[in-house]
Parts: sequence; structure tokens; C-alpha cells
Amino acid sequence: MECTFVAPGEDGFEGAILEGDCDLYSAPAFAKAALSRIASGAKRLRLDLSRVEYLDSSGVGALIRILQEARRRGCELRFVGVGGSPRKVLKMTNVLNLMHEENRP
Amino acid sequence: MKRLIIRQLIVDERNELFDAQGMRCAEFPSDFSRVREFTSQVLETCPEPFREGRLLEQQLSEIIKNGIKHGNRNDPSKKLRVWYDLRKRARFIVEDEGEGFTLLDEWNEFFRRRQTALFEEDFDAFLALASYRGPRSDEEDGGNSLIAALEYWNGGMIFNDRKNKIGVVRWFAHGS
Repeated sequence: MECTFVAPGEDGFEGAILEGDCDLYSAPAFAKAALSRIASGAKRLRLDLSRVEYLDSSGVGALIRILQEARRRGCELRFVGVGGSPRKVLKMTNVLNLMHEENRP
Repeated sequence: MKRLIIRQLIVDERNELFDAQGMRCAEFPSDFSRVREFTSQVLETCPEPFREGRLLEQQLSEIIKNGIKHGNRNDPSKKLRVWYDLRKRARFIVEDEGEGFTLLDEWNEFFRRRQTALFEEDFDAFLALASYRGPRSDEEDGGNSLIAALEYWNGGMIFNDRKNKIGVVRWFAHGS
């Protein structure tokens, strides 16, 4: 999976665009990259999951760690494009409730 | 009125989910780097409607990962056996050669507290409890695979007495 960070736009939100399978092999690097953005002072972060078709429990764990760290450091997190199987997995783990979504399907 | 229903991991050695008669069987080495490859092999002849996008693949992959990583602790001398039956429903038995899921009762207690916080809409407590940490857990472990599995395997999810073998089944609305 690739994770590309995009500089803040007019609304002040830095972007993180994920593409590919967020799984037991790729999730640790994704978590590390996103946590590093939050630790270095990002105050608004928008995660775009519209190009992620596969999310497993390691991916869910990564999102939980990002949600925890964002809350701890006062970073506003938003999510877009959470659909398909990833949405079902996040719903089954009750984590979807904690995610502030834009354009919720 | 809202009611709180909390599912639990169950141990039942004699459960019919452990009857492997008529099931196909595959044996895999404990190679963490090949978890998804093994999953794809088992699901090679899976009817399309059972896949539900990538959901079945993801759920089976979690069980295979747990067996290799937590059960066999990636010991290459230990094998993982998967019995599978994809007629009318998706049914699997997965057995590793490890010491078993000894923290099953602790995990049930963690899950009870987590779901109670969710029910009470105490989102700070819920987020703090969102991931399970056992003594051997690393940063990537979170118990999330079992949380989703309790809901996904709608026909049952049972451990044997040694807790190194799990039987699961998912029924589908329209069968095959």
C-alpha cells in the first residue's frame, strides 16, 4: 500500500491518500508515517481511504492508534471514501463510530 | 429500550463445528510472510457470492495469521492445518501446534469492558480500550480480529479445550 501526504489546502487540512491493501504487511508503515505527521504538529489531517479495497485487523489497529494519538495531541481527524469491505470491518469492530467522516455514504 | 448483548469466545471440544468429515484439508508452514497467499489457496474454488467483496478473504486471513503468529509463534518447524468446506456455507477448522489461546478468559473480560463503554457512549473509555494488549502483544496486535470475527462468523466460532484449534462457520442469505 502507498500512503501519500498532501500539503494543507485552503481549509487547513493536510491530506493522506492511501492506495492499495491496508493489511498485516503494510499497516505498520502507514501507522508510523501518520503518527509521525501528528507528532510533528499536524493539527488537521484528512485520511482518504477511497482507494483501499482491503483492510484487515492490523489496518484497524493502525487507525485506532492514529485516532488515539490525534485525540491526545488535539489533531482534528477526518475520513473520506470509507467503503466496501473496509467499511464493514470498521463497523464490525465498532471503530466506525469514532471516525468523523465527510460525505458519509 | 436499549439492551447490551455481549458475545463471548466459547470453548466446546465436542461441538459439531469440529467434525471434519467430508472437509478438504490443507497444511501450511508457519511462514508469516505467506499468510495471504495461504488464504488465497484455500479460497481458490470459493463461490463468488460467499466472498462478499474481500470480507471472507480478510476474515480467514485473520485466523491463519493468528495461528501462525500467536499459535505457532512463527516457528518454522510447526505446521498449520486448515479444513474447509465451501458448500452451502463457508466452514473452516484451523489448528496450530502452539500452547493454545491461554488468555481467552482475559480477552472475554476485555471485550465485556470495551462493549460496555461503547453501550454507555463513553467514547474516551472506549477508545482507551479499543485495542487488547496481552503480555506477548506487539504494536500491531489489537484483538480486533476476534472482535470482528465474533460478528462475522454468524453460525458459530468455537475453540477446543486446548484452545489451539478453532471452528467457524458463516451462513449466507442466499446460499449457493
